[in-house]
Amino acid sequence: MKQPISIIIGLISMVLAGGATAQFGTPVIEELEVSPPVPARLPDGRPNWTGFWIVPNGLLDTYRGPSGVDGQAPGTNTRSARRQDIPPLKEPYETMYVEALRKSAAGELSDPVAACFPPGMPRVMVMIYGMEILQTPNVISITSEWGPATRRIWMDLDEHPPLEELDPTYQGHSIGRWEDDTLVISTVGIREDVPLDFGQLPHSPRLHVIERFTEVRPGVLVNELTVEDPEVFEEPWTSRYVYVYRPDFRLQEFVCQENNRNIDADGHSVFE
Amino acid sequence: MTIAGKIRMLVMLAVLALPAAAHHSFAIFDSTREVTISGTVAEFQWTNPHCWLHVDVVGDDGVAEQWVVEMLSKNVLGRMGWNRISVKPGDEVTVVLHPVRTGASGGNMVRIFDAAGEPIGGPLQ
Repeated sequence: MKQPISIIIGLISMVLAGGATAQFGTPVIEELEVSPPVPARLPDGRPNWTGFWIVPNGLLDTYRGPSGVDGQAPGTNTRSARRQDIPPLKEPYETMYVEALRKSAAGELSDPVAACFPPGMPRVMVMIYGMEILQTPNVISITSEWGPATRRIWMDLDEHPPLEELDPTYQGHSIGRWEDDTLVISTVGIREDVPLDFGQLPHSPRLHVIERFTEVRPGVLVNELTVEDPEVFEEPWTSRYVYVYRPDFRLQEFVCQENNRNIDADGHSVFE
Repeated sequence: MTIAGKIRMLVMLAVLALPAAAHHSFAIFDSTREVTISGTVAEFQWTNPHCWLHVDVVGDDGVAEQWVVEMLSKNVLGRMGWNRISVKPGDEVTVVLHPVRTGASGGNMVRIFDAAGEPIGGPLQ
């Protein structure tokens, strides 16, 4: 019986290795295998995060936990549910959100990302395609492979332009500063038609996203992303995203319009 | 163990399916069910935002029917060890998929095995 047992163990290992696709819980930071960026610091003394980073397990954070059900995105099954990790929504946003969830469950949702529009902020920070960070003295560039879409974090500006003068964009207007070794990014001016997540969570023109990037382990970045929007939410709320440095990967071309077979003229998911 | 048995065991052990890591809602697929098909590759589209595999499956009645399998993006599959020649027209493959709810012959890739029963590509990165 020795051989069958070894075969079964082998198969289980294969499944654990190959089937790691299956495991998409919150990553345990201490258990991640990483190769930290070299050098660890830039000549100006700041942490060096230049290079390619991925979301461990290739998953959109918004795909798991309270935003979906049992680790699935809203709309991936009939048990779609509202996010439990956000404070109550004010009207008319609550009504908009409930309607979006209903459509999602019914498979009638028109998601701009499915139609190849940019995810925009903050969804761009959790796309599965990874991102490239490039640091220069006055600007930090974060390019998501989805699109690709580049955010530029202006390190030489102390404040945003007045909101009424700002042309709303998918990525918004971002300024950054260092608090010791934590990079703090403030983003405003995000288009209103950019949903906050795959469940089409809405926001107002007053949306303010604050990110705090910290290298909690060499090669592991944690982004504590806080959403403030007093017109929509009773209070600010924070999500936590983990990125791992992967020097073995490089940013690839990605053109969503190349062969987008899944979407009909109304932006609904189809299969043919 | 036969190749079919090996595949069955892998499928049995892989109780959790490939997550819905994609750019659109997967409500069109029944993620609670898995269907396994075996057949001959008719076409492999190595593209974004998704790759597509067309497989001719011969039924018990001897009639071939084409199944359409939606896969992850080529960027993501590439990081899992796939490339544009991982499968070619004429190759024999076995595909485990979440079937499309419309009842059409197709679905969302869970895992794909080559003619020797070996899984193609590694885990999601």
